[in-house]
Amino acid sequence: MKIGLEVHVALPTKSKLFCSCSMADTDAPNSQICPICLGFPGSKPMLNEAAVSSALGIANALHCAVNNSISFVRKVYFYPDLPKCYQITQMDGAIGSAGHLDIDGKKVRIRRVQIEEDPAQIVREGMLTLLDFNRSGTPLVEIVTEPDITTEEELRSFIANLRSLLYYLGVDINKEIKADLNISLPPKDIRVEVKNVTGIKSLIEATRFEIERQTDAIKNNEGIARETRGYNEKSKLTESLREKETDEEYGYIYEPDLTTFEISGTKFVKATYVGRIASELAEGTDVNPRTIREITMLDRHSLGLIDKFKGKYGLRSIIHGIQRFKKYGSEEHASDAEIEKIIGLVESGAEVTREMVLDILAGKDVKVEYSRLTDGQLDKMIKEFLEKNPKLLEEYKKNSKTINLIINQIAQKNNLHPKDVAKRASALLNSA
Amino acid sequence: MEDREFERLLKITRLKLTEKEKETARKDIEEIIGYFDRIDKIKTTEKPAYQPTEIPTRLRKDEIVPFPDADALKKQSKLHDGYILGPKL
Amino acid sequence: MTSYIREFLGMEKPKGYYTELASEIEKKDAEYHAFTTLNRKIIDCSDGSVPFTTKANICVKGIETTAGSKMLKGYLPPFDATVVERMLNDGKFSFLGETNMDEFGFGTFGLNTEVPARNAFDKDYVAGGSSSGAAVATAMLKYHVAISESTGGSIATPAALNGVVGFTPTYGAVSRYGLIDYANSLDKIGVMARSADDARMVFDIIKGKDEYDTTCAVEKINDEGKDKIYIIRELMEKTEPAIKKAFEKMVDGVGKSYEIKEVSMPILAEAIAPYYIIAMAEASTNLAKYTGYKYGLQYGEFNRRYNDFFTEARSNFGIEAKRRIILGTFIRSESVKDKYYTKALAVRRMIIKEMAKLLNDGFMLSPTLPIPTPRVSDAMKLTSVQNYAMDIFTIPPNLGGFPHITFPYDYMDGMPMGAQLITGHANDYALLDFVSEWEKGFQYKYKHNLGSL
Repeated sequence: MKIGLEVHVALPTKSKLFCSCSMADTDAPNSQICPICLGFPGSKPMLNEAAVSSALGIANALHCAVNNSISFVRKVYFYPDLPKCYQITQMDGAIGSAGHLDIDGKKVRIRRVQIEEDPAQIVREGMLTLLDFNRSGTPLVEIVTEPDITTEEELRSFIANLRSLLYYLGVDINKEIKADLNISLPPKDIRVEVKNVTGIKSLIEATRFEIERQTDAIKNNEGIARETRGYNEKSKLTESLREKETDEEYGYIYEPDLTTFEISGTKFVKATYVGRIASELAEGTDVNPRTIREITMLDRHSLGLIDKFKGKYGLRSIIHGIQRFKKYGSEEHASDAEIEKIIGLVESGAEVTREMVLDILAGKDVKVEYSRLTDGQLDKMIKEFLEKNPKLLEEYKKNSKTINLIINQIAQKNNLHPKDVAKRASALLNSA
Repeated sequence: MEDREFERLLKITRLKLTEKEKETARKDIEEIIGYFDRIDKIKTTEKPAYQPTEIPTRLRKDEIVPFPDADALKKQSKLHDGYILGPKL
Repeated sequence: MTSYIREFLGMEKPKGYYTELASEIEKKDAEYHAFTTLNRKIIDCSDGSVPFTTKANICVKGIETTAGSKMLKGYLPPFDATVVERMLNDGKFSFLGETNMDEFGFGTFGLNTEVPARNAFDKDYVAGGSSSGAAVATAMLKYHVAISESTGGSIATPAALNGVVGFTPTYGAVSRYGLIDYANSLDKIGVMARSADDARMVFDIIKGKDEYDTTCAVEKINDEGKDKIYIIRELMEKTEPAIKKAFEKMVDGVGKSYEIKEVSMPILAEAIAPYYIIAMAEASTNLAKYTGYKYGLQYGEFNRRYNDFFTEARSNFGIEAKRRIILGTFIRSESVKDKYYTKALAVRRMIIKEMAKLLNDGFMLSPTLPIPTPRVSDAMKLTSVQNYAMDIFTIPPNLGGFPHITFPYDYMDGMPMGAQLITGHANDYALLDFVSEWEKGFQYKYKHNLGSL
């Protein structure tokens, strides 16, 4: 099975791609429009430098070959939402080409990263076609992959990794992701396109449906048509699009109202590869890199905290402290110093409760009182614990790091200081 | 030019011609294409010149400048609750 | 120096001058059809400013601007083109109206529109196109300048046929913001006037960078004089004998101050095909936007499906526009794009390089048209290819974005004849200098002098 994607991402600019109209959210239709984004005769596009910079960041993050100069083309097609009946987009002069995105040890190749303009929004009211041009001219980047994705898992992983990468570049694609899919199944590899899928959830569901549909068709010896289908969010089905597009072609030409833009001096945000950072951080520790990745993928605050405290506290304590804080507190009302207190408590071996987190965030002093036991009492407790958990003992024999798990469990359950438990536990286990 | 190609062009350009117009237009178009074929005889290794002069890069700063007269834009078309009315999908 | 602008500004205008002028124009225009819109508000103009007109493809806020097309009936631009804004801000000029043209600029003789303009010297003859009305208005009004536009010769041809000065600047010297596009990589806004100095004065107002047109970026305009004049053999060979004879007589005179050299540049005789290929490819995309509901013509049948809606609305294009949309779309087809479009762009570079080399050390001079002014009835008999061949002299500088100027140099059977001078990119002032010099020894003639004082 081969899956390829064309993902459309809206860039975080203040003004539109080719005009100075606002990109702010608004409920009033056609309130942020001008002759340019309406495609009025006589208007001309002027390229937004922030869109170029943002797109360059994405191309760079996807390891694309970036040209020193970019240019645009006109893609001609007739549709009521397209103001000029051609879309200004990119082909050979695209901002990025021949890149890749790493997903779990595999590379998904990126064919092209291109800048383009969004058409107007269509609202259907009964038989009426209502057009809102506020969206017209929104700067988009289209990321075109090679058909390198082979399972639903890989698709999920691709989207998650892409989303993380974009998040760190200041682009949120959660709801706004719009994608075209192409899916082909062996043995015949007939390419079926599914157009205009909106949202991550729909993307996964559309893929799943299409795979099942094609699998069934192959099983039942029915032919698969090389066609373009649409995804119906309500019925969760893909449907053949009635319009025959075989005669249509876009007739691309160079956009002569724009020029070939020299962009080698354009500044852009460097990429943050959370997967790589997680592996580097986890190396030599008992922390699973996946845990680090999960909490930092869409959370630059957490990544910042890890970076800030990594020399001062154990990685496990930092991660655990952040998890506690995220669970009970909220970012807006917390300072790094308060979060550090939580991490410190975790490091001291305390079981950090909701009350403790809230007290810390309320500026109260939180101290943990540990029970004090004699060595004899401790030894008895450890022995009993190991008798009840023979598997852990076995595990310890294979991997000496398991001792931390044993210590933490005993300390937390009995409100003991982990250092006290550790001293006796290592003595006992070493002599065992 | 074959009938099919001519009809295809009419379809994708969203144009219609009367039978009489078709006849003359096709003859004309064939003659013009025949004339354009002269370009085949020109030998060149030059790169395409998309514009006649070299134009330095100029980008627009990302600043919001609202258009002063949005009503003058909207009143050119038919409106429905602030939306611009378009043809049926 | 001849400047009608300065002369006019320095003179006392009698009371009711503009009212009188407007009604004179209306009367005359019923025969010549130079205007598509006459700005009646100019009648209130009491500041004594000079009337200027704009070609009907240049947006003037609130004034119906149709580019000569039914598709734009009723279009009221919500903004002024940059050139209009600059003219109005200058203070010396007031807007008189919009001038007739071939639909979207598609024509050599001004005939591709509902009511074609007629030659100011004789109504039976063509006005030339596509800026037909601009040239006729300039030849009718004594004190007036016309903002006009050229893609492949649309300033030079009508200016020559109506005996006025027609100046087409370097591509990118004047902002195209507000110009209704024909072919964006070829379109240039320029000026028609009754003297080179008047054209210069207007050029100085409208030229210069514009934050609304990426391609308008020429930094500095030069006036490098030349001592050589080149005449291209292959183009002269395509010229009718009567024109050739008159032109050679003029060149003999010019030869006293310049070294005249006939040279061979065969590629220039091949410029028509690449020009029309590029122009039509771009035009066919520019005309896609006219679908009958956002502005201009309102088709109104919103219950029809969009493809039918568009097709019905677009049947209002004239036949030449339809022809160019079909041809341009064909040229852009994936299967032939390299053969026509890409090749034409490469040939354009070849032509630019060869011309630039020659223009580096001399001007190029030629007649503006290869034939005497045709009668309307004769011009209508020409096939498309014959029509396009009339642009043989005007296409090379237009294709290459080189500045060029046409000026009257003789009269044959009462009809004016124009010559065209070309120079290198951004050397526009040298052309205006040359024609100012020419005007010292040659008096232009006009049949009408509306607004004389």
